[in-house]
Amino acid sequence: MSTANFIQLFLSGLTMGALYALTAKGLFIAHLATTRMNFGQGEFLMIAAYLSMTLLLVGVPVILVAVLVIAVLALMGWGLERIALRPLDRLKSLVGGQYSWVLTTMGVALIMQNVATLVWGKSSQYSPPLFSASRDNVIKIMGVGVFVEELLVIAAAFLVVGLFYVFLFLTTHGRAIRAIAFNRETAALLGIDVTRTTVLVFVIASVLAAISGILVGPIVTVQPHMGLVFTVKALAVASLGGFANPLGVLAGAIIFGMAESFSNYFNSAFGDLYPLLVVLALLVVKPSGLFGEAKADVR
Amino acid sequence: MIRLEKVCSGIGSIDILHDIDLAVTPGELVVVLGANGAGKTTLLRTISGLVEVRGGSIKFDGRTNKGATAHELARSGLVHVPQGRQIIPALTVEENLAIGAENLSGLGRDEIARRMDAEYERFPVLKMRRHILGGSLSGGEQQMLAVSRGLMMGPKLLMLDEPSLGLAPQALQRILAALGELARTGMAVLMVEQKTSALQIADRAYVLKNGAIVHHAPAADLRNDADVFRHYMN
Repeated sequence: MSTANFIQLFLSGLTMGALYALTAKGLFIAHLATTRMNFGQGEFLMIAAYLSMTLLLVGVPVILVAVLVIAVLALMGWGLERIALRPLDRLKSLVGGQYSWVLTTMGVALIMQNVATLVWGKSSQYSPPLFSASRDNVIKIMGVGVFVEELLVIAAAFLVVGLFYVFLFLTTHGRAIRAIAFNRETAALLGIDVTRTTVLVFVIASVLAAISGILVGPIVTVQPHMGLVFTVKALAVASLGGFANPLGVLAGAIIFGMAESFSNYFNSAFGDLYPLLVVLALLVVKPSGLFGEAKADVR
Repeated sequence: MIRLEKVCSGIGSIDILHDIDLAVTPGELVVVLGANGAGKTTLLRTISGLVEVRGGSIKFDGRTNKGATAHELARSGLVHVPQGRQIIPALTVEENLAIGAENLSGLGRDEIARRMDAEYERFPVLKMRRHILGGSLSGGEQQMLAVSRGLMMGPKLLMLDEPSLGLAPQALQRILAALGELARTGMAVLMVEQKTSALQIADRAYVLKNGAIVHHAPAADLRNDADVFRHYMN
């Protein structure tokens, strides 16, 4: 493998890793605070990618597209909590009831897939680039051609991951989320509105899906069934973080993205297989996830 | 400050509390004594809105508690320090202290800092530990932190669920002294206990048995009358 190849694969691994990190953070924060998550996280991402593509194609400026898509997805996150999760919580004493959210969030995901097929059709489409004039805008770094779009997607994704940390660790709402993760009753006794914080968690998860959806549009093909793959990969990445350690989720996402990028180079027919094998191998060695024990859990 | 009239409550299909009459006025320290399973924790959980009231009425600060959620009551000054202290292990001592107060509307940073300084003065050990995680504190330090975290919210009524549990005698004395001091400054304090040590600082005492109040007397009387007390506790 040439150096140029290596750098290109490294960067595209980092790009996808950053996007998986964003998607997995959505699963992580929901699971942390409520021990539930949205199995349609990938479908939310898919809807965001379609919305963003459609708006970009009619010439809406990128900033406005981002604001609109994030607003719509935030609303979807709120709706998901109200319709697919909260009514079930009232019935959770029924046998097996505490897992019914798996079915309802998957059901919402299926509805999204079909709505997307109806609105945008079955075929794969390409979203216009966000940051550069054309898809193949390339700059030279150390003599190697690199897509500008990829670099900016990496920068944007890591910026959002950074903001997520600031939010979770340095704001009142972030501390409230960690308090309800510890114990919902204790949180209520501390004056924390547990219901509202739960809604907030699902809104944040959806906003993260929105951002990854906007960023992923120009990098992969947009089609109605792209979501499940993202959900599966984000689940694998979140497991690498042990569902408990935000740093582990980030590290897991980058490992996953890299494994995917390099395995696609060596064996494109089974490119999706190897990163999942890497996750399996890592989980065999460290079942509690990366940094699962070394660093204090958020709980 | 708080008045319960004929309060009944329970969890699921089980009724736990029956016709509880109880009151605490400002500046008073009241202890509810009872054996394991008498309903002490349920009593506090009912007052703080975690357990639904099935009959009777609860009035806090002149208003009925009906329909109020636990977090609304907590914000209005009904502060419940739960059993087992419930310190959030992954937050630092300082973050644990602030987490209740920062949910109160209209409480500025300055006021939170001022209250924090007051708590550090009350329990200097917390100041020494302020940057370490709450989970690494000893039991006594955690109980001090739990009391301080509640006080940061500016309670009108402070309720404590077995603060003596698992504490060394010295740590317990520190906490009891602090609670006595708080009552003298006009706060209403209600604690439930299995041990009699709280009687030394309490003004009045109730004895709870099988979910009902079976005895009610000034704390001094119970201190001097160990027989009555043993009769009810066994």
